[in-house]
Amino acid sequence: MFPTPIDKTSSATRVAYKVALPVALLLWLLPLLAVALTSVRSSADITSGNYWGWPTSFNLVENYTAIFTNSPLAAYLLNSFKVTIPAVLGAIALSSLTGFALGIYKFRSNLFVFFLFVAGNFIPFQILMVPVRDLSIQLGVYNSIYALILFHIAFQTGFCTLFMRNFIRTLPFDLIEAARIEGVSDLRIFWYVVLPLMRPALAALSVLVFTFVWNDYFWATVLTQGAHAQPITAGIKSLNGEWIAAWHLVSAGSVVAALPPVLMFFLMQKHFIAGLTLGAVK
Amino acid sequence: MSIKSGIRKVRSAMVALTTSALIALPALAGTAMAGELVINTDSSFPAVKKAFQSAVTGFEQENPDIKVTWNVFDNEAYKSAIRNFLSAESPDLATWFAGNRMLPYVNAGLFAPIDDVWAENGLDKTLKAAESAVTFNGTKWAVPYTYYQWGVYYRKDLFAKFGIDVPTTWEEFKAAGAKLQENGVTPVAIGTKFPWTAAGWFDYLNLRTNGYDFHMAVTRGEIPWTDERIRKTMGHWEELLKAGFFLENHAAYSWQEALPALVNGDAGMYLMGNFIVAPLQEAGLTEDQLGFFQFPAIDPAIAMAEDAPANTLHLAAGARNVAEAKKFLAYIARADVQTRMNEIMGQLPVNAKSSVSDDPYLQAGFKMLSNVDGGLAQFFDRDASAAMAKAGMEGFQEFMVKPERLDKVLARLETVRQRQTQ
Repeated sequence: MFPTPIDKTSSATRVAYKVALPVALLLWLLPLLAVALTSVRSSADITSGNYWGWPTSFNLVENYTAIFTNSPLAAYLLNSFKVTIPAVLGAIALSSLTGFALGIYKFRSNLFVFFLFVAGNFIPFQILMVPVRDLSIQLGVYNSIYALILFHIAFQTGFCTLFMRNFIRTLPFDLIEAARIEGVSDLRIFWYVVLPLMRPALAALSVLVFTFVWNDYFWATVLTQGAHAQPITAGIKSLNGEWIAAWHLVSAGSVVAALPPVLMFFLMQKHFIAGLTLGAVK
Repeated sequence: MSIKSGIRKVRSAMVALTTSALIALPALAGTAMAGELVINTDSSFPAVKKAFQSAVTGFEQENPDIKVTWNVFDNEAYKSAIRNFLSAESPDLATWFAGNRMLPYVNAGLFAPIDDVWAENGLDKTLKAAESAVTFNGTKWAVPYTYYQWGVYYRKDLFAKFGIDVPTTWEEFKAAGAKLQENGVTPVAIGTKFPWTAAGWFDYLNLRTNGYDFHMAVTRGEIPWTDERIRKTMGHWEELLKAGFFLENHAAYSWQEALPALVNGDAGMYLMGNFIVAPLQEAGLTEDQLGFFQFPAIDPAIAMAEDAPANTLHLAAGARNVAEAKKFLAYIARADVQTRMNEIMGQLPVNAKSSVSDDPYLQAGFKMLSNVDGGLAQFFDRDASAAMAKAGMEGFQEFMVKPERLDKVLARLETVRQRQTQ
């Protein structure tokens, strides 16, 4: 069997494994630990250069209260939900339709259209910055959550279509043919036959797209300004003062901002792992 | 946005209607004027917001017939928003900064002159400290309502321990630094990762070497950077660099990341604005440990000038409620109002008749600025144009790391200056 299970290897390998694993894990998690630790520090610790040592005082409650009382962080957090949820729903809805069309119908330009969707994923999105900003101004949605929702739906649909189309391809085609013979309309086939079978893919993709959209910083700063529309990734900087960067508050804000996708992941973990291997084996 | 512009249209239509009604019924104009006032401020930080809140509330209490609409913008977003709103849907009053930083708006005709407000309220006496910073072509363009001092913050206890007196001359300053070095303490902490801190040093060295008028001419772009007098300034800077005055690896630190050196006693002095005090006090430095002194004189013949950036309130050229706006400008210039606002912000009131809170650093700054003969500069990045400020600050940082590149740096700055003046 490859790879050989650790407990069947030589004792030297096993010892090395047991030593290396925690070290690698610690190294890997060090930045996260630093953020978590900084989020409970006092600003005094930071000014006196105590970045890695034991905090002189634990300000868990103070810091996490301060970020909600001294800055519009709650508004930013709400914006994040207002952007992410419609964007996820929109991208999933569109891509299950496109996935259905590309997976089921046999037409000449099928592969070409499919490649168009896939090719979209290979465009470095930074080069879209200026045109998308101009477009959003012309559509009158610049500096509003709609700019972000529309962009994320459009951009995520490419990847989601790839995922959905490949998943639908793995479904037994007989099911669809059987329904067709019965004279069921295509829309009803989609709704009653394909969609229920796609549930694991839908769940997995939702989690994935949720984290993509939630963690977006680039478009949040390009398309929106201020607490009325910016999501939390961009809003964290509002925790800094006019001259003084309040790293302890920024860290606390980052932890808060990271919670929803983490929670989402743990709640949907079963679907997520299932989704990763979907279509990998027949 | 489309909804907003719709509202804008409706609103302007309403304004048009009211004005036409007023023209039609001139007899009623006096009584029909329902006072309104729109103020845009960049005060999203809690203390500043609170200070403005107190000012607006106080004004409304004194003028119950005027309804104030106060829009608070995020500080960073404000810098780009102000261009939009001044030309599109103008408020009556807007906050901005003194010095050359306001010139683009003055030149574009977006700010209105307020000489009458200054004359009627005797502001040339009460706001004298920042008068030159809001005057352009002999006209007043703003009312300054707060400022803060720059100077050297130092470890009083270390100075006492090593028997160093507060330096007042260039020789004393260098001797003080040498004494600190003998005892294993870096004389000056600085972090130039964000290079504006280096510009503070340029400001002071140039103000002390060549005086206020020359320094302002430099920042306005009227003096070639290759001028002998600028070389003299840089020569003084080079003396300190050669003597190893500054914190090692300063280009790797932000100004805040250089603070631990001062807190832990690894460095003795820090040239900075008064906002340095709050984090240092939080980190545990007491009044016995942290002191403040005026940047020492270099050429005794030159009058002392200081950096003291002021924040200002401007009348927009597109203001609809000019009378109400001028009333508010006069109000915010008043001694009692500035006392209250600055008490909340922890800064200095510009009005000479205001009182300053008991904070020893603010008191020291107030005393210093009240006795300034040379003039008040607004800091390099407010006095110089945006492109010049950026190139200048980067150049100073490079010079601090590689002093031997001085000629190249100055030549580059000169190219930027010439491009600007063309």
